[in-house]
Parts: sequence; structure tokens; C-alpha cells
Amino acid sequence: MGQLRKPPLLVEALMLLLALLFLLPVCYLLMMSIKQPAIFYDPFKLPNQLYLEYYKAAFQDVAFFRGLGNTLYVTLGGLVLTILVASMSGFVLARMNQRFFRYVFLFILSGLIIPTVGSLIPMFKLAIALELINTRTLLVFMAAAAGIPMATFLYSAFTKSIPRELEESAAIDGCGRLRLFWMIIFPLLMPATGTFVITNIYAAWNDFVTPLIFLNDPSKMTLMPQIVQFMANKQSINLGPVFALSVLSVLPLVVLFLFTQKYMLKGLVMGSVKG
Amino acid sequence: MNQNRRLYLSGVLFLLPALLIFGMFFYLPFLQSIYYSFTEWNALKPPRFIGFDNYVNLLKDQRMKDGFFNTMKMVAFGVIVQNTLALFLAVMLNKPFRTKAFLRTSLYLPIVISLVVTSIIWGQLLNYEGLFNGILIRLGLESIIQDWLGTVQTSFPTIILLTQWQGIGYCAIIYLAGLQSIPNDIYEAAEIEGAKGFTLFRTITLPMLMTTVSVVLFLIVVGGLRLFELPYILTNGGPGTSSYTLFLAVYNAAFQNTQYGYATAASIVLAFFIIIVAIVQLRITSKREVEL
Repeated sequence: MGQLRKPPLLVEALMLLLALLFLLPVCYLLMMSIKQPAIFYDPFKLPNQLYLEYYKAAFQDVAFFRGLGNTLYVTLGGLVLTILVASMSGFVLARMNQRFFRYVFLFILSGLIIPTVGSLIPMFKLAIALELINTRTLLVFMAAAAGIPMATFLYSAFTKSIPRELEESAAIDGCGRLRLFWMIIFPLLMPATGTFVITNIYAAWNDFVTPLIFLNDPSKMTLMPQIVQFMANKQSINLGPVFALSVLSVLPLVVLFLFTQKYMLKGLVMGSVKG
Repeated sequence: MNQNRRLYLSGVLFLLPALLIFGMFFYLPFLQSIYYSFTEWNALKPPRFIGFDNYVNLLKDQRMKDGFFNTMKMVAFGVIVQNTLALFLAVMLNKPFRTKAFLRTSLYLPIVISLVVTSIIWGQLLNYEGLFNGILIRLGLESIIQDWLGTVQTSFPTIILLTQWQGIGYCAIIYLAGLQSIPNDIYEAAEIEGAKGFTLFRTITLPMLMTTVSVVLFLIVVGGLRLFELPYILTNGGPGTSSYTLFLAVYNAAFQNTQYGYATAASIVLAFFIIIVAIVQLRITSKREVEL
């Protein structure tokens, strides 16, 4: 829409103002993590020194790196497992059109509209029965189960843009189906993988409810419940260390976001065209 | 024939891992939850079938009622306000601003901040002695300052507004993706015909964007129905039951009062709401979608 005309300066100024308003809370988060105790609760005093004690306290009182490790484990584990199984299912469901496969596709897609809220309590019971309660493995499987519908949908949509001849010629060369998929098809499905990762990694990293319900061992806890727990223990004194811990937990995602935001939009554009 | 059979079998094998995980950790608990919602089940007693009692009791529970109406308010606000603002913002961000990269980055950045951290930031900003009230005082608006999250009338509206900090940017980025997938030559053709401004938006952008609209609306509705972190951390549903959401009520009934059967019934109500909304919405928007 009028792609070439630049908008008037006044409009640009208004947009900048809006952008600053959106940024303000992020700056506030950073500022509160270095604001010395004497002025911590005075909203109009800005920190005039780099006060790093809160970070020290955060590292001392909370097993930050353990939490980070657990968060990485659960986040990446869930994404990898989803990608491994859903790329295969998405590929097959795009290629096969017998009745059985059509029904399976509908069955999996129905997961897109069934919310997981209702399943939390039976899941709790199931986890106890499977002896998976209070394990990170359970969280990985739950993340995969919840991610499979969307991922399968994406992979099947992208598979349709890969020419069938490729598989046929590879099959003639005596390549087994499984090897054919992982060696030839899966690399071509990279855009689907990228779209899935970029649109899911933030929610996975930031998940609070699942670990809150299914983990209780502090040594397995991920970052988000750790922060809330830390805050609950700190009620009486100043929240500086909580802010420091929050900054630390957000930092990896901000870095990731700044590097991948271009692809995020591209991935979504591709996703929406295919979808 | 043999070849086809082998292809079919290998297809089934390819599906197996996904089906196993999905069936075991998604569908099975979902189906079980339907049964458990008709049982009395708590920490002391194993599930016992009691028919519709749980559902009847839901209607008498103030937390559930407030949770239900608050959740509906959240969804309505999201569908009307958040959706419109996000679309507007996306249209703006699609224009060639000189500072386009900065604008986009700063409007999207809140997306990556978790709801936990969002709660911590805004809880502090909206404190009685916090920055927000401080600014109001300096502007001479001392009469309206209050404990925004600690007052019955303002706690839930405040939480709704807080969801927008991330929500608008999140939906705007999806709308922007939708806008960019509309081929430019359609606009050029229409401009040659003399269409411009809002006419272009109404006759081309909006119809071409219908799929994206349905995606965004779906995300807003589902997100609104599972609003949990902000009230859990900021108000724990209070003061009184004024900022309860349905999800928070389910959580508290299950994991604080160990009324598992009862909580499951509440979550089934929530789940069926989402499913019905999704189906209705798919019906409505798929009729309006324009195929490229």
C-alpha cells in the first residue's frame, strides 16, 4: 500500500513514542536490577552507579545455572522430540491419501483445538502411574504431545512443495524409506523446522504452569517457577535480587530474538502462505 | 501391489512415534478428564461416579462464577480491542518508516518476556508507591491514584490491560506476516483503477487477510481463556474473588483444595468453550476467506 511514499514525520514521531512506551517496562526491569537499596523504592530516583550486589545475591541464593540447565533441557528436549516425530508424521500424511491416513490427520489436527487445561489432572495421575511425576522427561513428552498437531500441520504443508520425483528416483537407487527421509527430505523441510522453532521456543522457555504442577524437586526446577519461588521467599526485603534473576532469565531469549527476528517474520509469512 | 503394501506399512511406521506420544500424553488424559469430571475425587478418596453433581456445584461457586465472567471479559476485550489495535499496528509497521527496524524490534520485544517477569515488572510499577501513581501525582491527578491491583473494582481491568503489553505486539507480528503475503501487484492494479487509502484496505487488505484474522482471533480466544500467570502472581485472584480467572479457579480447586473431580469438571467447561469457539470461528471465517 503506497509502499514507496514515506509516512509524514508527525506519524513517525507518534510511532516512536508508542515504541518507547513499549520499551519502557523492559528498561525499568534492567534499571531495577541495578538500583541501590537506598533509593530502590523511590520511583523518581535513577540509579547513578552500577550496583551489582543483586546479581551476586541472585547467583548466591538461587541455583541459577541449574535452573538454566533444566530450562534448556526441557525446552530443547521438547522441541527436538516434536521435530523428530512430527516431521515424519507430517511428511507421510502429506504423501499418503488412503482413508487411514486421512483419519489420522484429522485426529492429530483435532489437537489444535483441544486445550490442555482439562487434561492437567488426569495427566497428573497418569504421570504417577508411569513413574514420570517430578521428572523433566515428563515435561519433554508433554511439550512434544502438545506441539505435534501444529508441527505435523506445518510439515505436511511444506512437504507438498517438495517434488515427488525426488523420492521416486532415490527409491530406485535402493535408498530405504527411513534413510531417504532423513538424508533427503528432512533437510529440505528446514523452513518448516525453523518456523516451528521460532514460533514455539519462547512459550516453551517461559512456561510456568507445567513445571509448577509437575515438578517439585528444587534440583529439577526450571527458571520461571524458580523466580516466583525466590520472590515468595523475599517478600519482606527489597526485590532487587528478584529483578536481577529476572534479567538473567530473559537475557538468552532477548539475544535469540534480536538475532532471529528477521527470520521470525519470514517464517510466519511462509507459514501463512502455506497454511 | 507388494510395492504399495510396503509403502503403506512404512507410512504407518512413520506415524507411529507421533501417534504414540500424542495419544498417550494428549488424547488419553483428555478423554479421562471427561470421565473424571463426573466423579467425586480428592486426595483422600478415589474417584467415585456422582453424575452431574460437580457441574451443578460449579454454578454455586463464587470463585468459579467470577472466574468465568472475568475470563469472558478478557476474551471479549481481546477480540475487540487487542485484535483491532494489532491490525492497525501491523498496517502501520508495514509502511516504510525511516526507523522501521527500531519500531518493529521495540514493539515485538515484550513478546519474549515471560508472563512471570511481566508480572514482576508491572507489579512494581503499579504499586501504591510505584512509578505509575508517582507520575499521576506529579500530573496533579492525586484524586485518582489507588492500589490498582489491590482494589476490587480495578484489579481485573488492570490485569486485562497488562495482557496487552505483550498481546498487541504478538498479534501485530502475525498480521504483519499476513500483510506481507498479499502480492503487491494487486494493490498496484487497484491503484491504477483509482482506489486508495481506506478503500484499498477495505476492498483488498481485509478480504485477503481473512485467514490471518481467524488465526489471530483463535490465538486471542485461547490465550484469554487460559489467563493464569498474571492473576496467580499479582493478585492470587483477589481482592476477594474479584480477579479470579477460570484457569486460576481450576488450579486452586485442584492443587490447593485437592478437589480433583470438581476441578476437572470446571476445566471441561473451559475446554468445551474453546472447542466451540474454534469450530464456530472456523465456520465463519472460512466462508469469508479469499483463495489466492
